[in-house]
Amino acid sequence: MEERLTRILLLLSEGGEALPGPTRLCQVAAEVTAMDGAGLVLLSDGRFQGVLCGGDVVSETLAELEFALGEGPCLDAWALDGPVFEPDLASPFPYGRWPAFAPAGTDAGARAVFGFPVHVGAARLGAIGLYRDQTGPLGDEQHADALVMADVVARAILSLQAGAALGTVGAELATGANFQAVVHQASGMVSVQVGEGVGDALVRLRAHAYGTDCTITEVATEVVARRLRFDPLEGEETGGGVPLPGVR
Amino acid sequence: MTREALLLHTLVELADNLVDDFDVIDVLTVLSDRCVDTLDVAAAGVMLASPAGDLQVVASSNEAMRVLELFQLQADEGPCVDCFNDGGAIVNLELSTTDGRWPRFTPLALAGGFHSVHCLPMRLRGRTIGALNMFRSDRGALEDADVQAAQGLADVATIAILQHQAALNAQALNDQLNFALTSRVLIEQAKGKISEACHVDMVVAFQRLRNHARNHNLGLTELARGVAEGAVNPIALDPLKTRR
Repeated sequence: MEERLTRILLLLSEGGEALPGPTRLCQVAAEVTAMDGAGLVLLSDGRFQGVLCGGDVVSETLAELEFALGEGPCLDAWALDGPVFEPDLASPFPYGRWPAFAPAGTDAGARAVFGFPVHVGAARLGAIGLYRDQTGPLGDEQHADALVMADVVARAILSLQAGAALGTVGAELATGANFQAVVHQASGMVSVQVGEGVGDALVRLRAHAYGTDCTITEVATEVVARRLRFDPLEGEETGGGVPLPGVR
Repeated sequence: MTREALLLHTLVELADNLVDDFDVIDVLTVLSDRCVDTLDVAAAGVMLASPAGDLQVVASSNEAMRVLELFQLQADEGPCVDCFNDGGAIVNLELSTTDGRWPRFTPLALAGGFHSVHCLPMRLRGRTIGALNMFRSDRGALEDADVQAAQGLADVATIAILQHQAALNAQALNDQLNFALTSRVLIEQAKGKISEACHVDMVVAFQRLRNHARNHNLGLTELARGVAEGAVNPIALDPLKTRR
């Protein structure tokens, strides 16, 4: 335990910052667990609030897929409040567990994914997602490292938030974070278009993204640019007379 | 001892305390002791700034009154105060050369048998939260490697303090973070609804939201929630005054 924590704190202090930001936290999380990448998602009441990935493209895609599809290792780790292991993302079992996320995550380049809850006592902050581009289980050592890392990350996130003005997200925490602003804007717009609540509008955006093989961010960007509208009656989207570049 | 080896050794000791029931004073005392054991110094102490901004001694390698007094005195004057105020390290300061700069501190230190002093800042977000203070009995300089190792220990102590504070305030900080994150979501959703209903872009949508909140003395988040959840019709928001 001590040695694990020591190794993690040493790696973090190598960044030269007393307060390592999300980028460094994700890098160290991947490094100590010998994974290809790590991403951090903030959740409250099981809802995605933000994605912090430290510039790792695959981790960012995986997090966005979880947000868009509403399933995956981080969401499960949050729901279970315990670790989630998927050593072979392309095998039949995860298709049953995550019928949408498993194939999409495989396409994104992940062969094994793992989720760990990030909490301090009863304060639940979110989850860490780890991925590897090769199949294979998480070893006992890696598992133990990931648990300690999740503890360190939880405290680090809270430290980053500690300096923030009331009602704002800590500046260091917000740097490089994706809070999906465009998706929430699009939810608001679609909600007016179809005359439903913003929650149902988000479901429509998700379904459309899934059905058209686009990311939810791409679909939301089209909506906000007023190149894509949703119809109240059939629930079908219409192009509004304009071609839809970017929407395949 | 190399910087790495020293850090590792000390961290293992600190880590014992860091996980659950960790007492920040214990951690800082370990740190002070470690400085004396492994660096060429006779006494070491950690000074932290109180919320009011004055320095207080929180841990010392030596509980002898004469040493504690030296640390305590530095709430008012001394190298630690200067290090804390400037945020810069003070290294190898020969006390015989300080020429009445600290009329109370210098004579007391010399009388205690200390000839040189070193202060290393504990920094966070460009702000100095405290300092690691070390005294030597001998004249002559502390080696660069020792100074680096000591700064490494000061950095680790800073991380330890932060991790501790975060754990203490976990629930409050997490509530605050959740509130901030939820506000962002509600505001973006409200902007989207206003944008669509009033045929304006997101910038104007936000201006309308903020303008209406100010006119009616409502919180921005509160109003955004009303709009996002359907209790407030976006068309009913106050129009913006047009500039002529």
